[in-house]
Amino acid sequence: MLKTIFPTLTRFRFTVQIIMLFVTVYGGALLGGYTVDRISQALPSLSCAFDKQTGDHCILIVTQHQFHHRIGEAFAKAQEITLKVFIPTLISVGVFFMFFFFLNKAFCGWVCPMGTVQEVVYRIGRRLGRPLNRLGPGNVGKVRPVKWLMLLVLVLGLPLMAGMGIASNELGDPYCQVCPSRLATTLLTADAEQIALRTSTGVNFFLGALGNTLFGFVIIAALAVRLPFCRICPLLSWNALFQRLSPMQLVKRQHDKCAKCGVCEKACPMDIHEIGTEHGKKAFHEDCTLCGRCVEYCPDDDVIQLKFFGITLFKSSREYYKKRVKLECPEGLPKNKVIWLAQAQQNQHG
Amino acid sequence: MRKKILLSVMLLAVPMMFSPLLFAAESAPEAAQPQQGTTASEHAGHGERAEMGGRMERGGNGKPVTWTSFPALKTKMSGENRERREVTIVPQNIVADNIDAYSNDVKAAGMRRQLQFTLAGAKLDKPEAGGFHWLAAREERDGKVRVASTVYFFSERGGQNPTSMFMQQKHELEIIPQPFPREHSRYRANEDWKFLVRFNSKPLAGQKVNLETQSGTKTELLSDAQGVITVHVPDDFKVEAEKKNAAGHSHERRSSDFVLATEYEEGGKNYLTAFNASYGPDAFDQRSMAMGLGFTLLGMMGAVPLLRQRKAANKADDAGITTGASVAPEAARNEEA
Repeated sequence: MLKTIFPTLTRFRFTVQIIMLFVTVYGGALLGGYTVDRISQALPSLSCAFDKQTGDHCILIVTQHQFHHRIGEAFAKAQEITLKVFIPTLISVGVFFMFFFFLNKAFCGWVCPMGTVQEVVYRIGRRLGRPLNRLGPGNVGKVRPVKWLMLLVLVLGLPLMAGMGIASNELGDPYCQVCPSRLATTLLTADAEQIALRTSTGVNFFLGALGNTLFGFVIIAALAVRLPFCRICPLLSWNALFQRLSPMQLVKRQHDKCAKCGVCEKACPMDIHEIGTEHGKKAFHEDCTLCGRCVEYCPDDDVIQLKFFGITLFKSSREYYKKRVKLECPEGLPKNKVIWLAQAQQNQHG
Repeated sequence: MRKKILLSVMLLAVPMMFSPLLFAAESAPEAAQPQQGTTASEHAGHGERAEMGGRMERGGNGKPVTWTSFPALKTKMSGENRERREVTIVPQNIVADNIDAYSNDVKAAGMRRQLQFTLAGAKLDKPEAGGFHWLAAREERDGKVRVASTVYFFSERGGQNPTSMFMQQKHELEIIPQPFPREHSRYRANEDWKFLVRFNSKPLAGQKVNLETQSGTKTELLSDAQGVITVHVPDDFKVEAEKKNAAGHSHERRSSDFVLATEYEEGGKNYLTAFNASYGPDAFDQRSMAMGLGFTLLGMMGAVPLLRQRKAANKADDAGITTGASVAPEAARNEEA
């Protein structure tokens, strides 16, 4: 029965993503107005606090506030930094970790509404016959540090400086001001307020302009690039800090044929080349969102596995691989489907 | 080439991220000034919180205010900086013996507390559980029962879902927000918000409710069959220059107060209950939709080159990607197997 409804892991994941999109974007409306105050306010995915219908808040906004209002102000007043100051931050991180412990970075690949939006746009791009722009090993290495800069500067640094009085008070939550999820999720609730730029101060205007530009870029780029924003998302780096502490792991064993194959690399939406060339801990890269596509597209039995507490949840198999490639190529292009523009172009050229 | 474009745009984010530091450097001396006294200002991030404080009139219990004759409770954050450890509540247009404070943890022993007045007003210390707190003052004299009520929110979470607390009967005649704006939200001009009007826990249909605002709006509303009134928050904001603190740096957010009041006769007694809160300007105040759309389009245009089909140099590879023929390596892999 389940196999009929969910013939592939991707289908199952996409269903979960859509459900979580409703929970994270419309959860407050579905479950009651005060739901957000009761779940966690420390979710490891970009569930936006500016969305008035959201079911929960992302850990990043809480972190910015606590660095701004507690830790930063405590430094500024040169008071002794007691546990009382850090307790709220520790509680938030602790609550976050209770979630994270079970799903690890699957919050990125299965729950995050911004990830879902980008994947939906990418699917549209496949049907429109848009090209796929992948990042090679050299280029992807240059992009990867950006997510750490985003975390250090926008989520931790500037809020801390604002709290200490070194930076403008308006820089208390700079990441939220540039986060494309703020625009995507509020627009999904038909709230156009966030797309309108705040003009009250130069800082507000600058951050808003940067955020809107980034949002526009991401939405169009997602037609031809897989998960363009996820690659620089500070939550990806934040989650990477805790990646090894969860029992949910991606496990890859060494296999002689891996060097010649590379199908899992093509399937990876984050262009993690290490999944094809490495094994063991190196294969479970910090950019991995545990989407499971590499497991689906590995043509050898048991080479890549998703494990929880050592129990295999899903593993690669030749039989599954054969079925999978009949439905969709590793890059995400569905087979036996009408691809309007691609077909038209092929007809033109051919 | 297109990979380079993609890479360039992504790397562009790096220097842009540091640009706010320039703004920060400009405003740092101002921001570093010690704040004098207390303020009802909001801070970034929590800026959308519904402020109950607003600009408090100085004075104690029963202090009359000019913009309304209905009873109201003014709240003011106090304590150093923005720690929000203590809240002062001042009744206006009502003389009460104390303030009843209800925390959202209805099962806790200290769910209802009676706050005694000091010279400045009644002090509400931050309890263990944060979140929503219902505050009420009651005056009964000569067959007339007057109640002032409001809600205060401590941003520190830990409280329960406040619905039970809101719906618990606290007085005979009540006006209950359905719901109250949650964190990062607030009452704002041109928005519709619902309130339940009830007497002894029974909804009052067709009940007249008065709405008065600090900016001068006075109107009447009628509750529907379920006892619910829908308040369209008036856009009656007077343009006020933002107050500047001693350093000339403004943290003040514009807000104004409103009060809802209703009267009911029962058993020879006259009941008058009011609920007051503050509201902010329209959501699009000090925002530019044109600029927002413009920058969004700019970003979209920046990504357009990524959508163009590859040229002859990558033709073979391109064909694989756009047609799904990239199973070539898979086929080779199958053969090996």
